[in-house]
Amino acid sequence: MMPPPRVSRAALPAGLLLLAALTVVSLGVGDLWLEPARIWAGLWHHDELAATILWQIRLPRLLVAMLVGAALAASGLVMQAYFRNSLASPGLLGVSSGGAAGAVLAIGAGWVSHSILVLPAAAIVGALLATGAVLILARRGASTERLLLAGVALNALLGAVTNYVLSNFTLSYERNAQILFWLLGGLEDRTWEHATIALPILGAAALLWPLGRPMDLLSLGALEAQSLGVDVRRLRRWLLALATVLTALATAVAGTVGFVGLIVPHVLRLLVGPEHRRLVPLSLIGGAAFVVACDLLGRTAGGLRVGIVTSLVGGPFFLWMLRRQA
Amino acid sequence: MDAATPGVNALDLVGASVPDRLHEVSLALAPGTLVGLVGPNGSGKSTLLQIAAGLLPGGGSVRWGGRPLGEIPMIDRGREAAWVPQEAQFEFGFSVRSVVAQGRYAHGDDEHGVEEILSRLDLMGLANRPVNRLSGGERHRVLLARALATEAPLQLWDEPLAALDVRHALEVLVLAGEIKRDGRTLLLSLHDLRIAHCLDVVIVLHEGRLRAAGPPPAVLTPALLREVFGVRAEIAPGLVLKLP
Repeated sequence: MMPPPRVSRAALPAGLLLLAALTVVSLGVGDLWLEPARIWAGLWHHDELAATILWQIRLPRLLVAMLVGAALAASGLVMQAYFRNSLASPGLLGVSSGGAAGAVLAIGAGWVSHSILVLPAAAIVGALLATGAVLILARRGASTERLLLAGVALNALLGAVTNYVLSNFTLSYERNAQILFWLLGGLEDRTWEHATIALPILGAAALLWPLGRPMDLLSLGALEAQSLGVDVRRLRRWLLALATVLTALATAVAGTVGFVGLIVPHVLRLLVGPEHRRLVPLSLIGGAAFVVACDLLGRTAGGLRVGIVTSLVGGPFFLWMLRRQA
Repeated sequence: MDAATPGVNALDLVGASVPDRLHEVSLALAPGTLVGLVGPNGSGKSTLLQIAAGLLPGGGSVRWGGRPLGEIPMIDRGREAAWVPQEAQFEFGFSVRSVVAQGRYAHGDDEHGVEEILSRLDLMGLANRPVNRLSGGERHRVLLARALATEAPLQLWDEPLAALDVRHALEVLVLAGEIKRDGRTLLLSLHDLRIAHCLDVVIVLHEGRLRAAGPPPAVLTPALLREVFGVRAEIAPGLVLKLP
C-alpha cells in the first residue's frame, strides 16, 4: 500500500531533526567528550581546547561524512531511476571502484603532490570510464541480472587495476598506506582540504533538485517519458553526469564506502513512496544522516572504519532485498 | 487542443523505414478518424507506431498536424501525441492516480481531468494502489488513462485491447468513439479483425510493408486475409456485444 500522506509530510522535518541530533552527538563523542554547552562554547572559541578539537578534527570529519553520505545516496537514487532498477547503485555497478582506481593510480604515480585537484579529477575520470562501461554493457535493457553481472565484472577488473598499482609500483610506505585508505573507505584524519574537495557535491545536489519530476516519468520507462514530453536524451545525460560526479567526489575524499546508495533510497521509498520530488531532498539528508551514524558507530565500536560499518549493515540488507525481489 | 485544422492531416508518414523491420511505409490520417493497424506478429505494427510517435529514429519523415516532428519542441510533443506501449511493466510503486497524472506533465502537471479519466476507465477503486501490484489488464488501463489524460489530438495505441476483458475492451471502444467525435485521431494496432471492421480505416502491414489501406470492407477481403494471415476466412459483419 501507499504510505499515508502524513508520513510523507513529516519525513523532511524528521530527517532534518535526526541529522541535527546526529550532528550534536557526533561533535560530542570522542576521546574527550563534549556536552552540547561545551560544543557551543568551542564553536565560538570561548573554550580553546574544545575549539581545537572541533575545528581541527570533528567538524571537518562531520562535514565530509555528511557530504559523502548525501552524494552516495543521491547517486544511488539517480542510478535506480536511470536503470529502472532498485538494485542499481554506484558500488554495485562499479562506479565507486572506478573512482577508487582512478584515485589509487594518481596516488601510486605520485601525481597527487602536484595539486589538490588531481585526486578528485582522477577519481572523476575513473568513475566516468566505469559509467561508460556500464552503459555499454547494459545498453540492451537493464535487467537486474545484466546490471549486477556487469557490476561484478567491472568491480573485478578495477580491483585488478588497484592491485596492480599496489604490487607493481615501487611505492613508499606512505603511499601504500594512502592507497589502503582508499580501498577500505574511511573518514579518519579528514581535514578542511577534504571538505573543500567535497564541496562541489552541494552544487551537483542543487542541479539534481529540479530533475525530480522528470525522474518520476523516466523511472517508469524511457520511451514512455519521451512520449509524455520529457527530453529523455538530455535528462539522461544530466543524470548520468551528476551521478558520476557525486560518486567520484565522495570516493575522492573517503574512498569506497559501499551500500549507502542502495540502502538509503530503498528505505526512503518504503517510507514515503517513489515520488522523486520527495526522494531527492530526502536522500541527500538521509544519506548524510546514515553515514554520520555509521561513522559514529564505528568510532564508538573501537575505531571501525566507516566503509566497514556501511558494508556490515549493507551486505545483509542487500541480500534481504534480493530475497524480496525474487 | 488544436485538433482538426481543416485540410491538414493529423499524421503524415512518408517513407518510414527501419532496417529489417519497416520498409518505406507512407500514410496520411485525417483528423477525426479511427484507424486500425493490423498484420501478423512481427509485421512491424509496434515499430510503425513508435515511429509515428517520434520515439524511434528512422528513415523518412513524420508530420503531426502538418508540422514536421523536428520542429516540435520535446515538451510540446507531450501535448500533441500520446503513445500507449504494448508492454505495461512498472518497476516502482507509484500510485495509479499519480501515473495517470503523468499525462499532464507537458501541461505543467495541472492534474486537469485526471479524476474523470480514472472513473471512465474504472480505475477509481484502484486510484491509490501501487501500479506494480496490478494485474496485466489493470496496468494497461492505467497506461490508456495516462494517454487520454494528455488530451492529445493524436492517440497512438499499441494493442490496447489485447489484455482487457470484454467489458473493459468495450468501454475503451466507447472512449475511442468519443475521441473521434472530438475531431481527434486514433491509430491503434489490434489482432481482432472483427473490431478492425468497425473502424473508419484499416491499415494492413505485412513483413514490414504497407500491404493495403482503406475502408475495412474494401480492404479485409478473403483474398487478402488468405495472403497476409494465411487463413481462409471472411469477416461476418456486425459486432454482437453491446454495452448495457
